[in-house]
Amino acid sequence: MTTASTSLYGLASARDLFALTKPRVMTLVIFTALCGMLAAPGSIHPVIGFTAILAISLGAGASAALNQWYEADIDAIMKRTSQRPLPAGRMDAETALHFGIGLSVFSVVLMGVAVNWFSAVFLAFSIFFYAVVYTIWLKRSTPQNIVIGGAAGAFPPAIGWAAVTGDVTLMPVLLFAIIFFWTPPHFWALALFMNSDYSKAGIPMMPVVAGRESTRKQIFGYSLILAAIAIAPYPLGFTGAIYGTSAILLSVVFSALSLQVMMSQTSEPKDMAAEKRLFKFSILYLFALFAALVADRLVLA
Amino acid sequence: MNEIDTSKPPMSAEEQKAFQARQKQRAIIMAGLLLFMVVLFYLITIVKIGAGS
Repeated sequence: MTTASTSLYGLASARDLFALTKPRVMTLVIFTALCGMLAAPGSIHPVIGFTAILAISLGAGASAALNQWYEADIDAIMKRTSQRPLPAGRMDAETALHFGIGLSVFSVVLMGVAVNWFSAVFLAFSIFFYAVVYTIWLKRSTPQNIVIGGAAGAFPPAIGWAAVTGDVTLMPVLLFAIIFFWTPPHFWALALFMNSDYSKAGIPMMPVVAGRESTRKQIFGYSLILAAIAIAPYPLGFTGAIYGTSAILLSVVFSALSLQVMMSQTSEPKDMAAEKRLFKFSILYLFALFAALVADRLVLA
Repeated sequence: MNEIDTSKPPMSAEEQKAFQARQKQRAIIMAGLLLFMVVLFYLITIVKIGAGS
């Protein structure tokens, strides 16, 4: 896997260990977990709340490390991921595995000891789901891999909620479902203009297996389900008008951009303006939706 | 990870210097993290005791 000169006799740098936790993905995890926590009824001491967010972030970092440990072979083939610490030869596989397992255990114990054991078990399950069910089992075997991976990414707000209340009710399930149904259109939009990379690595990504046309239809289909679920908390009485209005406006734009993707016929990544637009907006969509949820809760309180 | 590997040539002077610099950097970061955890666990304990009473 590695050579002495590039990994300095097996000693990875602190910077590469940090990179192994996928810090950019972690920002979204921290944000959604914090929103779940702030939106939950009840209160949590700021120190315990901080510790809960820290534990969720460490758990996400651990999942990312385990994911990269297992996927070093396919990461090496794809341009986007070839410079990660393992495929670039700056770290050996054993270091990544030990780091991932150590961080997993630490994050779960920290959550259990400082916050509550319900959210600790929930966190442990989310790490297991991402590292084993998604990465090891399903990613390489089904074109619905992203849908299943989306479930792994959808846990943080529900865990943040559970840190406050110690249980899970319908509202955190809806928060989970929002990220779950947001992931396929978000990721498939990316996969459409990154198609060649996934084909090279042999990952059964939807555009590779089912073709572009089918993927574009599915993007639009998922965006409609997402709109229904994102708006649902308002008519169900879980949120106020700030969230309701934001959810409707954001979802209309999201669906319109998805419709443009469905109408698109191009097969050249450089011409895929609609796909790139949807991908960029999808990130804004999730941040804005969860920010509106928190703003709504703060105003109501 | 740190056993002596006889299949590889010994480190050159520059490699050894870089290796030790990396060890030092990791040790400093680890010390900082441990200190942070000591403070955090102290605060958690205070909060838990406060909640209990």
